[in-house]
Amino acid sequence: MRQIGQFIALARLTAFEAVRQPICLLLTTTCVLLIAVFPVLNMHTFGEDGKLARDSGLALHFVFGMFVAGYAACSSISKEMRSGTASAVLSKPVSRELFFLAKFAGVAGVVLIFSACATITTLISERIAEKFYTTGGLYGWIQDKQTAFLLIAAPFVAYLIAAFCNYRTRKPFGSMAIGLLLMLLLLVMLISSFFTVEGNVSSFDPFLQWRIVSASILITMALIVLAAIALTISTRFGTVPTLVFCSVVFLLGLMSDFFFGRIASSNGMAAVLYRVLPNWQHFWMSDALSGGGTIPWIYVCHAGLYAVIYLSGILCLGMVSFRYADMK
Amino acid sequence: MKSEKTDFVLEISGLTKVFSDFWRRAKVKAVDNLDLNVRRGEVFGLLGPNGSGKSTTIKIILGLLHPTSGAISVFNKAPGNVGIKKKIGYLPEESYLYNYLTPRETLDFYARLFDIGRQIRGERIDQLLDMAGLTHAADRPVGEFSKGMARRVGLAQALINNPELVVLDEPTSGLDPIGCRQVKDLILALARQGKTVILSSHLLADVEDVCDRIAILYNGSIHAHGMVNELLKVDDSSRFTMPVLSSDQTKTIINLIKEKTGAMPQVDHPSRDLEQFFLDVVEQAHGDAAYQSGVARSGNLPEYLNSSH
Repeated sequence: MRQIGQFIALARLTAFEAVRQPICLLLTTTCVLLIAVFPVLNMHTFGEDGKLARDSGLALHFVFGMFVAGYAACSSISKEMRSGTASAVLSKPVSRELFFLAKFAGVAGVVLIFSACATITTLISERIAEKFYTTGGLYGWIQDKQTAFLLIAAPFVAYLIAAFCNYRTRKPFGSMAIGLLLMLLLLVMLISSFFTVEGNVSSFDPFLQWRIVSASILITMALIVLAAIALTISTRFGTVPTLVFCSVVFLLGLMSDFFFGRIASSNGMAAVLYRVLPNWQHFWMSDALSGGGTIPWIYVCHAGLYAVIYLSGILCLGMVSFRYADMK
Repeated sequence: MKSEKTDFVLEISGLTKVFSDFWRRAKVKAVDNLDLNVRRGEVFGLLGPNGSGKSTTIKIILGLLHPTSGAISVFNKAPGNVGIKKKIGYLPEESYLYNYLTPRETLDFYARLFDIGRQIRGERIDQLLDMAGLTHAADRPVGEFSKGMARRVGLAQALINNPELVVLDEPTSGLDPIGCRQVKDLILALARQGKTVILSSHLLADVEDVCDRIAILYNGSIHAHGMVNELLKVDDSSRFTMPVLSSDQTKTIINLIKEKTGAMPQVDHPSRDLEQFFLDVVEQAHGDAAYQSGVARSGNLPEYLNSSH
């Protein structure tokens, strides 16, 4: 029971420390704003505004998420080992294994918050992208400008409210801004559900492509796996080497099928690398959404199983590495 | 034999720690064949210049570093044992606080790690904040604090669990003379409660004021150790202290000593301790001053620390 309490306290602290850091807020806000403005600034889209908004949203979710996961993981282990906070915590009745797993849970929490923001923004962004409608009383090219305005305004409003609260109550700006951003994005989604894309009041109809959610869930799984890798590496290396290593793993994993998969049957080394490296292609299913396609939930479950198995292995490795690490 | 064994809180024998580089080649021998025992209830000082192995020894005691060779037991268990850490309070040498947490959040976090109930947690946090003189700054992030203020938060977190063994690594580093005195008074108060204190410092006056026994480290090994009063005693001279004498009385006594011993005694007026003089001046000034920057004056020992285990 005591260990559960310790786990929750450590995981909560890790998540709060990460979201209170300006870099986390900056990455989340930039990602949300880029996804939000993409449909507005898009040109030469050949009638594929929705697809471009969706693909860009998912790609930005993946790339920015990689930095959020990598940075949060590094700051929670490598930085703590260097600064001495890990020593202070491990001098209390906390086992190293619990410390490591709680850190992972905290980082995964940050990734979930980031992914929630990116997914909601991508959903709304796809809605506001210009489209050709021939149904529901609509005919011709239409863009939901009201929702676009609300979506782009959401981060600024979140910052203003967080700044006001920080001024009045001294509550931390970073965590409050991210929390408010998530709430405001949900609010925009809710408000826009009572308007048509032309801006007329209607009964509740979100008008959203919910099939994006399964693609976002897959990306979130990939980011959590990446966070576990970063966490494991950061038990032995500093922030910069960890981020470099994660980038290499990300790129190799993305091209794993091309580099190693083709020759895995004839080359032993390629076969080992093909199995050891995480295959990000399992989690990047944007193409499956083209032409109204959907990602079957059974596929999401299989990918989830792959992620869980991979996580188990990498976290065990991380725990062993951290167990024998010297604290500064 | 068994009672003698349990009388020691810490036993170290032949402890060696070698730090290696990336390729596992020996880089620095920080601790070299160290033998050390600390008895229950004593204030033990680890003295030594920078890089002498004090902090490394402390980190090995706490299970934060793995020894290269040698045996070590804390409360008769291996230092990595999680159970014994319930009895230990530790103040690390340098920055060890989460910058974005407030002192109240910091203490609450550490109290949760000891599974201290909500009500007791709240009471202890209030008492510790009062002890550290930080009640007024309890809701400011510690990242904004001066080194001295952060040190006080660190000291408070070390005591949150009412520890039996308190390990303090450079506890007065960054503190003003008032803070130093408060820390020394706190150490003495903890010792009166029967708690064991291991203190690492290179500030000799601080160690001399509070420690029962000391060990002087240099290059990772002990070069002198023993009771402070025995180590500092000058065996070949005596000192008398008496009320102020007239010049005739002084001459008479000098002549008497000269006649009896053949040695010429030195006569002077005892001087006050600079620290005490400073504290007296500040105490006097404090009577008129309304403004307090940074740390409020308190230093009260939390009530719960007065209760023995």
